[in-house]
Amino acid sequence: MSLVTIQHLTKIYSNHVSVRAIDDVSLALERGAFAALAGPSGSGKTTLLNLVGGLDRPDRGTIVIGDAEITAMPAGALADFRLAHVGFIFQAFNLFPVLTVLENLEFVPALQGRPAADRRRRARELLAAVDLAEVGDKRPNELSGGQQQRVAVVRAILTEPEVVLADEPTANLDTANGARLLDLMERLNRERGVTFLFSTHDPQVMARARRLIRLRDGRVEGDEQRTPAGEPARP
Amino acid sequence: MKLGITAAAGLLLAAALRVAAAPPDALAIARRSDEALKGKTQHARVSMTVRTPDWERTLDMESWYANPDRMFIRITAPAKEAGTATLRIGQNMWNYLPQVERVIKIPPSLMLQPWMGSDFSNDDLVKESSLVTDYTHAIEGEETMGGDRCYRLVATPKPDAPVVWGKLVLWIRVSDDLPRKEEYYGENGDLRKVLTFDDIGPAGHRPYPMRWTMRSIAKPGHETVLVFHAIEFDRPIPDRIFTQQNLKRVF
Amino acid sequence: MLFLTMAWRNVWRNRRRSALTVSVIALSLTFNILMRGIGDGFHEQMVDNSVRANIGHLQVHRKGYHDDPGLNRTLPDPARVARAIRALPALRGYSLRVLGDGLASTDENSAGIAIVGIDPAQERTVTTISHAVTEGTYLGDDAPRPVLIGERLAATLKARLGDKIVLLVQAADGSMGAQLFHVSGIFRSGAPDLDRGVAYIRRQDAQDLFALGDRVTEAVVLLDASAAVPAAQAALRAALPVEGAGACEVLSWNQVEPFLEQFIVLDDAFFYIIVAILFIVISIGILNTILMSVFERVREFGVMMALGTRPRQVVRLVVLEAAVLAAVGIAVGGTLGSLLTIYFAENGIDLSSFAAGAASIGITTTMVYSRLTVANVVLSNLAVFLLVVLVALYPAVHAARLRPVDAIRHV
Repeated sequence: MSLVTIQHLTKIYSNHVSVRAIDDVSLALERGAFAALAGPSGSGKTTLLNLVGGLDRPDRGTIVIGDAEITAMPAGALADFRLAHVGFIFQAFNLFPVLTVLENLEFVPALQGRPAADRRRRARELLAAVDLAEVGDKRPNELSGGQQQRVAVVRAILTEPEVVLADEPTANLDTANGARLLDLMERLNRERGVTFLFSTHDPQVMARARRLIRLRDGRVEGDEQRTPAGEPARP
Repeated sequence: MKLGITAAAGLLLAAALRVAAAPPDALAIARRSDEALKGKTQHARVSMTVRTPDWERTLDMESWYANPDRMFIRITAPAKEAGTATLRIGQNMWNYLPQVERVIKIPPSLMLQPWMGSDFSNDDLVKESSLVTDYTHAIEGEETMGGDRCYRLVATPKPDAPVVWGKLVLWIRVSDDLPRKEEYYGENGDLRKVLTFDDIGPAGHRPYPMRWTMRSIAKPGHETVLVFHAIEFDRPIPDRIFTQQNLKRVF
Repeated sequence: MLFLTMAWRNVWRNRRRSALTVSVIALSLTFNILMRGIGDGFHEQMVDNSVRANIGHLQVHRKGYHDDPGLNRTLPDPARVARAIRALPALRGYSLRVLGDGLASTDENSAGIAIVGIDPAQERTVTTISHAVTEGTYLGDDAPRPVLIGERLAATLKARLGDKIVLLVQAADGSMGAQLFHVSGIFRSGAPDLDRGVAYIRRQDAQDLFALGDRVTEAVVLLDASAAVPAAQAALRAALPVEGAGACEVLSWNQVEPFLEQFIVLDDAFFYIIVAILFIVISIGILNTILMSVFERVREFGVMMALGTRPRQVVRLVVLEAAVLAAVGIAVGGTLGSLLTIYFAENGIDLSSFAAGAASIGITTTMVYSRLTVANVVLSNLAVFLLVVLVALYPAVHAARLRPVDAIRHV
């Protein structure tokens, strides 16, 4: 059974001229996926990611995550749904500058109303697991870009959401740091079964995704399952 | 106040004027009425009874008047006030108090105070002539008052006149211009005081109201009655009567 | 708690701007507390002056006297009234008086005045008139029929110490009463009505002059403090007949002199208008600060909402930031305002430049002492706090209405 089911999704931007950013896309994303949306600028990959994350509303079509149809939810319920079921990683400016790393990690569980001691303990555990234990009390601007993105990944998976949506997570990182970030996400996918959906045009990400969905002009151009080593997946 | 006063332009003259004035001339009527009450000079013995819900008392007095604006009044009884005298010349007014042997000048600020505790104010004595000069007049029909046919004359203050009333309404007997009733209205239109003239009888050669009653509307139960026991018109009055020396004279 | 941390740190992100906002809040609050404190002190002084100059805290008359005073309405059973007054717990003093209108005259001039017949020793326990004597004595010499007059009345009558003046009245029986008095003292109370229009004589002389026998027209009561007025008023009403023949009325200072309270109400209204204008001005400043801080953080709000922060929580965060600003401003301004108010309560403010106007409304001193009340501090703080929070609502709602998808991409 698939985790995310997209049917006939259409999103039209109309500024001066109407552009079909997403044009009748249907997709299904299985639980435990490590999938990338790829395509040139303007192909609709970020738009699709935003629609799946409930940050934007489609003009037509439906998105079902688990057994909830998020396209039908009012704004407040959508916020609650994101809080409970979706993790986000953005390209940059991800972390709240006034909070320490640990406090940033506690933000989502705090919103969920988890006890302070629990969330603090869990944040420390996960930080240690990604070799960042020593930066817990630092502010984000004291960290390198790679460290910041790894903290962002930890924040996204800390409350064990059903799916983590990552919008060009490596775009602001050099190759080495990008690789490290991908290592981390792969490990989380493998060890903890976290489902990842990226939007990217980073060849490194595309190479390591086990499913590569190519978009062009808002349509699905290709959709291939591959093995973790970059080999095509077994049929 | 039209306290013990008279003079008349003469009954014949009055009669002649009345015949001539077929449509009533309001100003002329006001003037004739004023003269009918005052005369040129007047000398009278009057008693004044003041009634309030708490007390009633009567003062006897003798008064002298000379047209247009001199007046002298001396209280003769009861003993406590006997010798108290009031002199008015024009707009000035003095009281003599025998208890303390002092003459007191009444300041303008006290002109609206009661005169000798009555329902007449000091101003009523001083502003004697103002009915003719300080008001504009209109006859608003004729009514029967106490069995007499009367003009109903409405007097409205002239814009700059130093008058405290908003309006006066007078009932003036058609036959001889004697007033029968005067109503005093405040500036907001409320009726404040009513003066009625009764017991019209002969005084010398002329008819005259021997009993005047001033009723306060603002203070229910307050009224002042003047009764003329004797009155004499148009006899020359020596100037020494209207002097401050005369105020202090022991009589 | 995490939100509070965020709010606190957000406030100090732009120290200069926040310090400026805090200063504005603090200064407005200081101004508010101090001006209110001066007003409170000024009003209390005014009431106290009036109460101590003439009217006392409470007055007892025959029922109906206040609306239509007259010698026909003398105080029923003064001995009983005096007994009831002496039983009051907060009593400082009382005086039985004869009050009537009359004419004061000398050879030079005459003036309509109020004549107050007092027992000098008894009156001294209620009013300060005995301290106001500038020449002669306080009805104390041995001359027959002494009279104490204000300096302005003395000037009007051209009367000097020892001169004779005639008091002319209409007595209770309708007769004209006139009596010769000797000016034994001249006073200056500073209250124009008293200095211009009142003559004090001995109570017995007043009773003779007005033909009152042994009757009086009013009992005037002074209490320890104006706060004791309602209880004392109730106690006297309970102790004295208030209906039927011989009924009494027990009036408080503000019923006797409603003008005083009306002035205070008017003065307060004026104060609140000024405060309202001040508040509008500072609101605009605070609104601007908070709006700027919101605009600078649009992306942050986008991320917060993407992570599942509800719009309501965004509002709460922005309002919380404003509340932090307000709290700091209040801590500073409340302290400063209170200290200044206490300082001027001790040392006073010289308002002699306004004295000409003050005298006409019954102010007898040019020194005003402020007064710090709990109500002032609490209400001023609360008003400023609520104002800031209310002002913050607009930027807060603005932030909450951002669409996360646009906000995240906002540059």
